[in-house]
Amino acid sequence: MVDGFIANSLAEALEIRATQDVVPYAGGTDLMVVNRPGLTYLFIGKVPELKRVFVDEQYVHIGAAVTFTEAIHNPDVPTLMKEAISRIAAPAIRNAGTFGGNLGNGSAKADSVLIEFATDAKLRLVSAKGERIIDVDKFYLGRKKLDLAKDELIAEILLPSKGIENYAYTKVGGRNALAISRVSFAGVFASEEGKITNIAAAFGAVADTVLRYKDIEEMLLGKTIAEARELRQDYLQAYSERMVLTRGRVSAEYRKGVCMNLLGDFLTKFGI
Amino acid sequence: MEKISQSVIKKDHDPKISGRSIYVCDYPSEGVLCGKILHAKVAKAKVLGVKVPELPEGYFYVDARDIPGDNNVNIVLDDMPIYCRETVEYIGEAIAMICGPDEKVVDKLLATCQVEYEELEPVIDLRKATEAFFNYDFAHGDLEKAFAEADKIYDEEFTTGYQEQAYLETQSMMAEPEESGRMFVHGSMQCAYYVKGAVMRALGCGPSGVHIYQDVTGGGFGGKEAFPSILACQVAVAARKCGKTVRCVFDRREDMEYTSKRHPSICRYKVAVKDGLVTAMDIDVIYNAGAYSTLSAVVLQRGLIAGPGIYKVPNLHVHGRALKTNTSPCGAYRGFGAPQTYFAVEMVMDHIARDLGIDSLEFKQANFAKQGDVTSTSGRYHFPIPIPDMIEEIDQLCHYRQKRLEYSKPQTGRYRRGIGMSMYFHGAGFTGSGERDIIKAVAKLRKYADGTVEVLASNGEIGQGVRTTFPKIVAHELNLPLEKVYYNHPDTARVPDSGPTVASRSLMIVGELLRRAAIKLRTQWIDGEEQEVEEHFREPTFMIPFYIDKFQGDAYPTYAWAVNVLELEVDTYTGITKVLGAYGNFDVGTPIDYNIVMGQMEGGFLQGIGYASIENMDYDAKGRIRNNSFSDYLIPTTKDVPNLQCILHVDKYPEGPYGAKGAGEVPLVGGPPAYLDAMEQALGGVNLYHAPFSIEDTMKVIMKEGI
Ligand SMILES: Cc1cc2nc3c(=O)[nH]c(=O)nc-3n(C[C@H](O)[C@H](O)[C@H](O)COP(=O)(O)OP(=O)(O)OC[C@H]3O[C@@H](n4cnc5c(N)ncnc54)[C@H](O)[C@@H]3O)c2cc1C
Repeated sequence: MVDGFIANSLAEALEIRATQDVVPYAGGTDLMVVNRPGLTYLFIGKVPELKRVFVDEQYVHIGAAVTFTEAIHNPDVPTLMKEAISRIAAPAIRNAGTFGGNLGNGSAKADSVLIEFATDAKLRLVSAKGERIIDVDKFYLGRKKLDLAKDELIAEILLPSKGIENYAYTKVGGRNALAISRVSFAGVFASEEGKITNIAAAFGAVADTVLRYKDIEEMLLGKTIAEARELRQDYLQAYSERMVLTRGRVSAEYRKGVCMNLLGDFLTKFGI
Repeated sequence: MEKISQSVIKKDHDPKISGRSIYVCDYPSEGVLCGKILHAKVAKAKVLGVKVPELPEGYFYVDARDIPGDNNVNIVLDDMPIYCRETVEYIGEAIAMICGPDEKVVDKLLATCQVEYEELEPVIDLRKATEAFFNYDFAHGDLEKAFAEADKIYDEEFTTGYQEQAYLETQSMMAEPEESGRMFVHGSMQCAYYVKGAVMRALGCGPSGVHIYQDVTGGGFGGKEAFPSILACQVAVAARKCGKTVRCVFDRREDMEYTSKRHPSICRYKVAVKDGLVTAMDIDVIYNAGAYSTLSAVVLQRGLIAGPGIYKVPNLHVHGRALKTNTSPCGAYRGFGAPQTYFAVEMVMDHIARDLGIDSLEFKQANFAKQGDVTSTSGRYHFPIPIPDMIEEIDQLCHYRQKRLEYSKPQTGRYRRGIGMSMYFHGAGFTGSGERDIIKAVAKLRKYADGTVEVLASNGEIGQGVRTTFPKIVAHELNLPLEKVYYNHPDTARVPDSGPTVASRSLMIVGELLRRAAIKLRTQWIDGEEQEVEEHFREPTFMIPFYIDKFQGDAYPTYAWAVNVLELEVDTYTGITKVLGAYGNFDVGTPIDYNIVMGQMEGGFLQGIGYASIENMDYDAKGRIRNNSFSDYLIPTTKDVPNLQCILHVDKYPEGPYGAKGAGEVPLVGGPPAYLDAMEQALGGVNLYHAPFSIEDTMKVIMKEGI
């Protein structure tokens, strides 16, 4: 009986994925927590095509099997992402844990995924039949539900290479290390010629998936800072009404209070 | 630094750091049956019966009917059964054990056991509990008069939660029937002789029918004081029935939910103040004992004795009860009942000072007890109280006074700071005349022909360093290199009863016996001969006899003293509280190994900070503890308190070896009041009343006060 495969190339990995009933894994930091007997595993942590980081015109490409430690030391990875992933767990987990695994886990608490939501990142999904590129928010269908076919693998995360330099980020964990997010917030701001071109706000660990309300963001798009300031109360009010949060290890009220504080602070930080 | 204080490499350093130490779960499994407990799933019920699935050959079902001796675990009152009687009294109570060679099969059998319950009304809410296992009351002075004449009377209530010991190694025990018919029980424990007494009673045998060995133990913190007696009885009874070695290793969830933790408390303090001095305290203490009394008597006693803190309280009334609820029995945890009352007394002193408009340190200083003063139990502080000096030392270390003043000014902005201080003692050794009347410690040294010397005592290495410090003392007196003196894990078949590894007593009490024994051996030393010397405990002559029924006399011969400071920064947007600095000044007498003592101080202090802040555990309306894993019950890491500084103030105790006193527990005790004091300041001078104080609690205050 075979209980595991090790893929040395992407083609090999996809071939196995297409023909076998396997659970892919890279760092194994999520999968190791519960031992589920009877499963067959496919190790993709050493597949060269999944271990690359490079930049092109539009995107920073981060391979699904790139570890957090590798990314922290890579000059091409944007600062916002680095800030978030350097708060993941502790060195041992960061040495093994990967971007693909963080997505594959399907959790709204995944710290790198929050940044992908806040930056409108895309994912490249591949199978033996071909590939598709999908917006990260489309990839998450619900709590622990992903738009990932049985024969597919996550190959890359595509982060925008420009326009995410101005941001606000906060992680609230139960302690300073080795702590899963209880609330997390990432906001990205951009303006051109005095007009707001981007004001993305994403909230992690407060609902089944990362939350982002693009229609509320639109209230401030195209506005000057002064105009936006006028709309500040309405904007915050809209969020406050929309955000229906679940309780977890902390209460829904706490989560809501913190989210609103961090959102307000994000506006203030950029003069709004 | 004195020679005896200079650090050496711990004797157990290499085997532990290299992974060669053998813990209970590391013994090979050949011939060993895996035992697992069938735990009660309801908080109170009559057990009508258990439908046990058909057992494959070699598998056993063990319950109360299999106990050859008496179904009561020997602890204090002996009310806890080994396997349940007609009723179960808390979720997790052991109904039976299933044993067999294959763990997976055992799991399956356990899962298919059907327990028929007739549910009874449990007592879950501590405030509604009425049955007191222990009810103590003591007083001195004229309370009524003091309250009648007071300028002002304060009446406040404080609560604290559970604290889980969170040792690395879960409760683990093995029992091996020997060919001679003797039962050999070994495992993770603090008190080999406690376990021996309990197993003798369970098996109904004499002292020669059983021997107990302490395996390498992965931490205890009090959690392995009483619980191992229970588990040892369970595996011993099982091994007797199966005629084979039985091993039971708890998984983390079982351990967190069903084994003893620190008692949650409700403390009400009524305080009379006249002319800036405390003239009376009327203290009412409730500890949540859980379903059986286990160690609650002694835990409560220590808490009550610490009731008035380190202050001179001429008129005092202390009333305390350990109440029964249908929850896991609480037990020992480093500090042993004292952290709860210290929290209350330190907080109430802070609050009174705030109300009087005086700086809390000044107010406390005005009320300090001094050498020669009467203690809470009408004993005496026989030795100088070093707290005033220790405050100056810590002020130099962290600029407490300057920061306290600075942070008391109105603050604005997202981040707010506060600094707080606590001061306290921890009585060294057993409460009252326990050492003299109950423990009666004996320690021996055996010298072999080759000139090596073995320490024979029953105190277990649990990370606190006794395998190193005991030989250090002996080697020092005999002028031998440390390699020539060794101390193995105790086996009751080989070592005398030098008492349990509890109450910060091992080094102070047994260490002194060993020092005296070494002197004796030195004077009798004959090269090339095998020799043995023995020493017995002697109560210091200055002690005022203690009567536990009246709570009168010297509760402790001496005290370890401490001053803790915590400096915090609160993020008002999230409630996240950063510890900017944690500063501890500890007087544990002469350190018998500087690094070992510092390890104790830093680790214990960090546990105290965890107790104050993030270590949150509670049960629901059904009596079930939900946060039963390390992802739900968080303890601090070094990243939470990177700036933790400890210093030692050395006031020697003449009756301890080279002046050493108890060091094990004192570092934990003062975390909560110092933390909350700092928190109160950061939050603009509010009064706070409970620990742990979580980020959510912080946010609630911020929202309510509009900070
Ligand atoms: C102690 C501890 C602390 C932690 N702290 C944090 C934290 O602070 N923040 C945080 O976000 N996470 C945390 N985690 C979770 C975990 O480390 C991360 O989610 C990590 O990114 C997982 O990566 P991995 O490579 O180890 O995943 P794996 O365990 O290898 O896989 C996880 C899941 O993703 C799937 N998967 C992996 N790669 C792919 C792929 N290329 N295509 C499709 N599916 C794939 C797997 O099938 C599996 O279902 C923690 C985990 C532990 C054990």
